[in-house]
Amino acid sequence: MSRDPLTPVEAAIRRRRRCVWLVLALLLGGLIYWLVAVNQYVIAHEAEEEHFLHGSIGAETANGLPVWAFRALPVIYADRMGGEGWRHFGLIYEQEDDPLPIGFSSRVVTGVERVWFNCSLCHVGTYRLPGQAEQQRIPGAPSNNLRLHELIAFLIRVGRDPGFTPDRLMEGIAGAGGDLSWPERLVYRHIVHPRLRDALAWVGERLDFIHRQQDWGPGRVDTFNPYKAIQFNFPMDEAHLAAAALDGASDYPAIWQQRPREGMNLHWDGNNDSVAERNLSAALGAGVTPVTVDRPAIARIERWMRDLPAPRWPGPVEGLRAAEGAGLYAAHCASCHGMGRDARAVLRDFPPPAGVTAAEKARVLAAAEAAWPSSCRPQGEGNPIPVFPEEAAYRTDAPVEGAARPSAPTGLADQATAPMDEPAPATYSRPASLPGAEGVAYDYDRGRYPCLGEVVALSAIGTDPGRWASYTREFAAAQNLLYAGKPWRFHRFRKTQGYASQPLDGIWARSPYLHNGSVPTLRDLMEPPALRPRLWQRGSDELDLARVGYRSDAAAPGRLFPYDTTRPGNSNAGHEYGTRLTPAQKDALVEYMKTL
Amino acid sequence: MTSWCLGVPDIVMSPDADHPHESNAAVIFDPLPFRGLTVRNRLFRSNISGMFDEYDGHGGPTRLNWEEKFARGGVGGIITSFTPVSVRGRILTRYAMIDDDDKIPFWRAVSERVHRYDCKILMQLSHSGRQQDLGGVENLHRKAQSSTSKRDYFHGILCEAMTGPEVRAVVQQFAQGARRAREAGLDGVELHGANGYLITQFLSSGINDREDEYGGGWEARARFVLEIVRAIRAEVGPDFHLQMKINGEDHNDWLYPWQGRGNSLDETLKICRLLLDDGRGVDAFHVSSGATFPHPRNPPGDLPMRELARWYDGMLSQGTRAGFNHAVFSNRLTAAAFRAYWRWRRGNVIEGINLPYARAVTEAVRAVDPTVRVICTGGFQHADAIAGAIRAGDCDAVSIARPLIANNDLPQILAHANGPERECTYCNKCLVNDLENPLGCYEVSRYPGASFEDRHAAMIAEVMSVFRPPAFRDGPGGFGAPVAAAPPAGGGRAAPDMPDEADVSKEQAVASDGVRP
Repeated sequence: MSRDPLTPVEAAIRRRRRCVWLVLALLLGGLIYWLVAVNQYVIAHEAEEEHFLHGSIGAETANGLPVWAFRALPVIYADRMGGEGWRHFGLIYEQEDDPLPIGFSSRVVTGVERVWFNCSLCHVGTYRLPGQAEQQRIPGAPSNNLRLHELIAFLIRVGRDPGFTPDRLMEGIAGAGGDLSWPERLVYRHIVHPRLRDALAWVGERLDFIHRQQDWGPGRVDTFNPYKAIQFNFPMDEAHLAAAALDGASDYPAIWQQRPREGMNLHWDGNNDSVAERNLSAALGAGVTPVTVDRPAIARIERWMRDLPAPRWPGPVEGLRAAEGAGLYAAHCASCHGMGRDARAVLRDFPPPAGVTAAEKARVLAAAEAAWPSSCRPQGEGNPIPVFPEEAAYRTDAPVEGAARPSAPTGLADQATAPMDEPAPATYSRPASLPGAEGVAYDYDRGRYPCLGEVVALSAIGTDPGRWASYTREFAAAQNLLYAGKPWRFHRFRKTQGYASQPLDGIWARSPYLHNGSVPTLRDLMEPPALRPRLWQRGSDELDLARVGYRSDAAAPGRLFPYDTTRPGNSNAGHEYGTRLTPAQKDALVEYMKTL
Repeated sequence: MTSWCLGVPDIVMSPDADHPHESNAAVIFDPLPFRGLTVRNRLFRSNISGMFDEYDGHGGPTRLNWEEKFARGGVGGIITSFTPVSVRGRILTRYAMIDDDDKIPFWRAVSERVHRYDCKILMQLSHSGRQQDLGGVENLHRKAQSSTSKRDYFHGILCEAMTGPEVRAVVQQFAQGARRAREAGLDGVELHGANGYLITQFLSSGINDREDEYGGGWEARARFVLEIVRAIRAEVGPDFHLQMKINGEDHNDWLYPWQGRGNSLDETLKICRLLLDDGRGVDAFHVSSGATFPHPRNPPGDLPMRELARWYDGMLSQGTRAGFNHAVFSNRLTAAAFRAYWRWRRGNVIEGINLPYARAVTEAVRAVDPTVRVICTGGFQHADAIAGAIRAGDCDAVSIARPLIANNDLPQILAHANGPERECTYCNKCLVNDLENPLGCYEVSRYPGASFEDRHAAMIAEVMSVFRPPAFRDGPGGFGAPVAAAPPAGGGRAAPDMPDEADVSKEQAVASDGVRP
């Protein structure tokens, strides 16, 4: 190698070359940085339902558990999780050996795969037919098994556990089969562990109030109190969180048939009438932040659930009794809940046994017809449909010209109410076919059923006020600041006076009943509050085919949770509609509701 | 006729109807008196040569053959190729220099050889400045001298601004060069103040960024060359012919529009009047244009991209942008784009491209001193164009390079015809080949032959004719004995006032008895 100096030209070219290399190295470094530290990677699912079950909505970015920590925790805390792993908290796996339970998705963030919640955590229900061990899943139904309160408490305990050391984490990872490379081990030991411990400690600090709450039990969630604490740093101590608002746990809702629900007052207390806004808000509850939210992923779920059919009752239906119940339902329920088949359609779809005479059928039909209140009669029978400006757009037929959508009350652009990827239809289409594999026809016409989707004052409905009280004006104001600067900024949250009446499509799969899940079956709901079960068992997913709902007796299969209706937030009072019917009428009504 | 698609630019072919050829020839072959010198016609061989000489700057026998070609062809005067006044001012290696008294004998031999044909010879005193294409191993570890430290924007040749003492030293080098030229018997000197070399680098507002007394306004920028003129006059006296080659305009922005345009014609005229120095300055101006070499305007013509790809590689070690240029020249697409750009920047006129500037210079300097003459360069090869320019008063004479390479006997042709049968095509292949090959006409299509091989063989024979007669031969003359002159190249025909060829041969035979000087 010559030691002679370079010529000036060679030196200049070398300098320039070094500059070029430096620039290229910086660009390459920038690209690598972007690929590893900035860009995020998710698994794309072709089927819409798979995307709902396993697709990421962006919750992992800010709140996710590194995947090997997620797998190590059941090893480290096998005793606390009863040896069941994450199943201990009611999480279910699509396949026995799936890496993640339903409701968890993964996303690679800053080079580390993280897992956290997605929408299906709270919206996949299960049931078993009596005597059958096979569990059936219903995507979109309330997650009747999920013990979120217990799960959060567990994570808080982990964050506070002095025994949760880097060594234990690494042992847990090894025990879970993690064969990490040495850089990964370094990352998990020196970066993941302290950050995870700190994050869990922070969660424990923010959500410490849950230890003052009643255990939510399976299938229930306190939607808004953790929301206040995590998203807005509301003070949640006893001085700031009144006892009346402390226990607001309620059942998870079903999420099918969202298109006709647009414009109805959504959430149990009806605090928002925009499906899109409600969805984004729910995603925040699952762990996304306004910065990390994956709107396209949520929009895809939104499209899917807009027309997701309600599930069909899996058991037998006594057609004649159900037809009789149709009239009772129309008379006592439809104005607030909408309507499924009429009696004639019930008889057509659920034909009575051959022994039933035509006269008997005619009698039932006539009785059912007579029971229909005039406001609920189908159009075209001399029964003009009352037109309300905000409802006109959602009527099945005869849309009011120029009234495509209700206007936003605040005067803002009405974008938050629009689905993310397409304008809302001016009218929804009534399902063309009656029951079949794809679902159940249901009439959501708010012109015909004027109370449907409306808030019924607490004084009128009389149900437990905990959930209603947990949602405050201050919180609504804070919510309406979310996504500030974006077209989808929240602006339709509001404090209401009670609870909203909802369509009862697929009501059989939404047990237990009332917003707080305080009444185990539909038949129980037909009884006056004093006669409803006071202390009963949640947690079984075996259907009671007669009373319609999950079994609630102590002998029911499954891990049971005693539900005490005398505890705060657990009251089974209120909603006394139909309680004065005769037992036979109540039976008929329940039989009819199987067909919804 | 425009033959743009064939790459042959516009050429004025038709004779001037108002003036029969005899009249044109009379104008061209009318002797031109300068203040201290008379040239027998209005045709100068412009400053060109090949890399024929010794590496250290001593001249070689091929150079004698080279200059003799044109003297024999009938030009009234020869301006030597770029003759560096110092090794640091070299443009290309193997060009004879005038940096030391030991070069005087060679130039005396050149002078004697040319004078045999009643041809005058002027030495072009030059300094490359930063336009140092192949500086040689002597300059390998040095940056070029210049008025600026900004590298040459075409090849990226590195340079550093000269200090005051360095400037004064270079001024003296020019003066000493002039003295040596006079002692060698040459008829005068020319300062190469055009085409981007050191003097241009001081003169041009587009290049000179100095903040001392040699930079700023036009007078300050002209201080360097004025000091050279005065130093030369101090050294050689008022009678030795001194002329200045200068750009009419610099067109310094031809390649990159963000470069300064350089001197305007108005500034040039002011500089020319300044260099007259109240009658003690220059005797003539040689008008060109273009602040780089090459430049689309100089030598005006085409750009042979394939030749550039072949022969530009020697420049790779010389400039920081040479690699980029070579890549551009080597890629068909970028080469075509560059060639089109080159031709667009040149414009449509080739023959007489600088006449507007020459006219302005003539008017400006004649108004001050009617004895000052103006020579114009730029594609001349037709009698009507040359005579027309002189008759119109645009200039007093023309200098010719490429058409004389193509037809060494062009003056003899112009004596009886408007132009040569096999014209120079302005292809500029000679220019590009000069980087690595003997200077000559490399346009194969100009040569006779039925096939490419035939024409190529004829071309090689013509190009290599510069090496004949060889310096050494076997025979009675023994080692070092020069042989008799080779037949004139280019198929020349004797002009009426040409010296008798037989006489010249006799003189050469006499001179061939001894070792070449």
